[in-house]
Amino acid sequence: MITDNLYVNIMAGSALRRLMAEYKQLTLNPPEGIIAGPINEENFFEWEALITGPEGTCFEGGVFPAKLIFPPDYPLSPPKMQFTCEMFHPNIYADGRVCISILHAPGDDPMGYESSAERWSPVQSVEKILLSVVSMLAEPNDESGANVDAAKMWREDRPEFERIAQKLVRKTLGIPC
Amino acid sequence: MRAAGITLISIALTCAVIGNAYYQKKQFYPSVVYITKSNPSMAFFFQVIYIQGLILVFMINTFLRKIFFGNLRAAELEHLVEKAWYAVTETCLAFTVFRDDFSPKFIALFTLLLFLKSFHWLAEDRVDYMERSPVITWLFHLRVGSLLSLLFGANLTMIQYAYDSTLAKGASVQLVFGFEYAILLTVVLNITIKYVLHTIDLQSENPWDNKPVFLLYTELIIGLLKVILYVTFVMIMVRIYTLPLFAFRPMYYTMRNFKKAFHDIVMSRRAIRNMNTLYPDATPEELAAADNVCIICREEMVSASKKLPCNHIFHTACLRSWFQRQQTCPTCRLNILRPTTNTPGTRPQNQPEAGQPAPQPAQAPGANQHGQGFQIPSFWANWQAPGAAQQPQGQNNAPNVPLPPFQPLTPGGVPLFAPPFPPMVPLPPVPTPPPNLTTLSEEELRAMEGNMRQAVEARIETLQRVQLLLDAANAMMNQYQTAAATANIPVPTSIPTTTSTAETSQTKVPDLSVIKETASTSAGESPASSSNEPTPSTSRADNETRDEQEMLRRRRLQKFSSQGTAE
Ligand SMILES: [Zn+2]
Ligand SMILES: [Zn+2]
Repeated sequence: MITDNLYVNIMAGSALRRLMAEYKQLTLNPPEGIIAGPINEENFFEWEALITGPEGTCFEGGVFPAKLIFPPDYPLSPPKMQFTCEMFHPNIYADGRVCISILHAPGDDPMGYESSAERWSPVQSVEKILLSVVSMLAEPNDESGANVDAAKMWREDRPEFERIAQKLVRKTLGIPC
Repeated sequence: MRAAGITLISIALTCAVIGNAYYQKKQFYPSVVYITKSNPSMAFFFQVIYIQGLILVFMINTFLRKIFFGNLRAAELEHLVEKAWYAVTETCLAFTVFRDDFSPKFIALFTLLLFLKSFHWLAEDRVDYMERSPVITWLFHLRVGSLLSLLFGANLTMIQYAYDSTLAKGASVQLVFGFEYAILLTVVLNITIKYVLHTIDLQSENPWDNKPVFLLYTELIIGLLKVILYVTFVMIMVRIYTLPLFAFRPMYYTMRNFKKAFHDIVMSRRAIRNMNTLYPDATPEELAAADNVCIICREEMVSASKKLPCNHIFHTACLRSWFQRQQTCPTCRLNILRPTTNTPGTRPQNQPEAGQPAPQPAQAPGANQHGQGFQIPSFWANWQAPGAAQQPQGQNNAPNVPLPPFQPLTPGGVPLFAPPFPPMVPLPPVPTPPPNLTTLSEEELRAMEGNMRQAVEARIETLQRVQLLLDAANAMMNQYQTAAATANIPVPTSIPTTTSTAETSQTKVPDLSVIKETASTSAGESPASSSNEPTPSTSRADNETRDEQEMLRRRRLQKFSSQGTAE
């Protein structure tokens, strides 16, 4: 155990050290409704996260699993985030990839966000990403076209959107619809 | 497994064809003659042979992959499939130009090319993974080393072959093959350099600061080589055949990457030079005054650290690697490449504060007017409403569209823009720091007052900024109105993404324990939940999930406390 840790600490690049620090922080002081950590502790660059649907929204009560893939130069580059359960949301691609501005470096501009202030920078962290995702669940940005159908439904047929969301919530909880 | 099944079937089919012929002719030689003479059975025979050949190649490919890579990670497999898709479609496009050359040999060459390509992609992924993997074994070095030399040799051989064949028989599809292998050669070169750099980095105990610089230059040089190759190829193709449409997508990406690499190098060099020459080292007092943690690596700043013009302090090494990507302050996004000295006349004294503690000379507006050139105060920046984020951008991009001014702010007839929303909500004015006129010299005052082009430009810019803030405020008020109108449900709190951790942890997020409680209380109720009152927590599965989470968390906590004691 001790030798393992020493070895890791010596070999670890700054990315690994920062990921370990963030993990420690998240474990000791977890934000409510969010759990995140490496899938296995041999590889600190692939995390899983469980996100609870925000209260008072159509995602309330759901527990949504997601995975985070960190680049070797983290925190200089943002991680990628992908839900591993079925999702229906204007800012989530059909394959689960999350499209929010905090996950994009200024310069790469898939959705035409304007302000660089909400983009990725080393100030951000896993915790902030996950909190942003929670607020994204609560308030979709229907201008981003990650899932055009969902965006359209969110705008035009809110009850149907909420019905689908509730169905997904039940699915994540393993309740038959 | 499936490949083995197909092999068995194809072997069985071959036997059936030969057996059938033998049964009819009773002798081996005549039966072979029979097969070759009867057309349908001959065609069938050859097809079976091809399928067998393909399967053989597939099996060799799988075998080699096992040898050189072992088990693939999920991400590697994903990349492989994605890239293979592009490669196949593009090559198919390419071969529409060379319809006449279509033959079995051609298919064989194409398959070989595809497999070699897939090995390049995998090798690249593996070498990139070196940085992330804590432990690199000797087996890894052995595999990568032999694989790279093998690929290098294969590419050279194939280029040689294509060259000879083109010389001997004139231009043919071999041109495309030769070109593809030349590109692959640059890829191998790139991977090899990366591999060497990573290996050197792993040997030393301290992180190697200069590695990113070498990587950047490698990218630049390889990019240049690729661009040259593509341009040559397109020129040759245009002269001999037609415009090679299939090469355009990769060519576009190559050129874009090259341009980006070039831009990155120029910018990062400039930023790092600024850092080394202009910015002071942080003093121990300053370090003590700040919370002493470098926001980039989250470690304490005991070693060399630098203070940026915005008073934010970072490790010199961290800052250097950040500047290789972006030339802004990581905390406040101050663009550090903006000219730090301005003539007084161009600097509007009453511009709105850009969300930082003190006005800095570098914050004065340069020529760069949108994007990072101007930062709205953090209050607006944090606000993530959909509409307004787009709105100011459009206006900023087209500042010359003359629309009727909605607020005649200046007599000069400055083109202003109509507000995007008809109802104008009155807002308190954005507080602006009063110009400190007493400290200005005669000349500066005159310059400020002056009607020179610079002064007018600065004024217009300031006005545009005021305009932008008003628009944002307006959109936000609208947002609130609609929210208030539709608020039967409690309005969900938006969580600012750039506030401090302390704030975010206080921000309202769904309370796990509350949900848990409702789950346990409602567990006794009927499981048939109505649609308008969703009670998804009527199942035990819910509780189980949470228990699992608790377990996971507890386990991790234990792990950490044990680590802490170990250290
Ligand atoms: Zn640092
Ligand atoms: Zn700063």
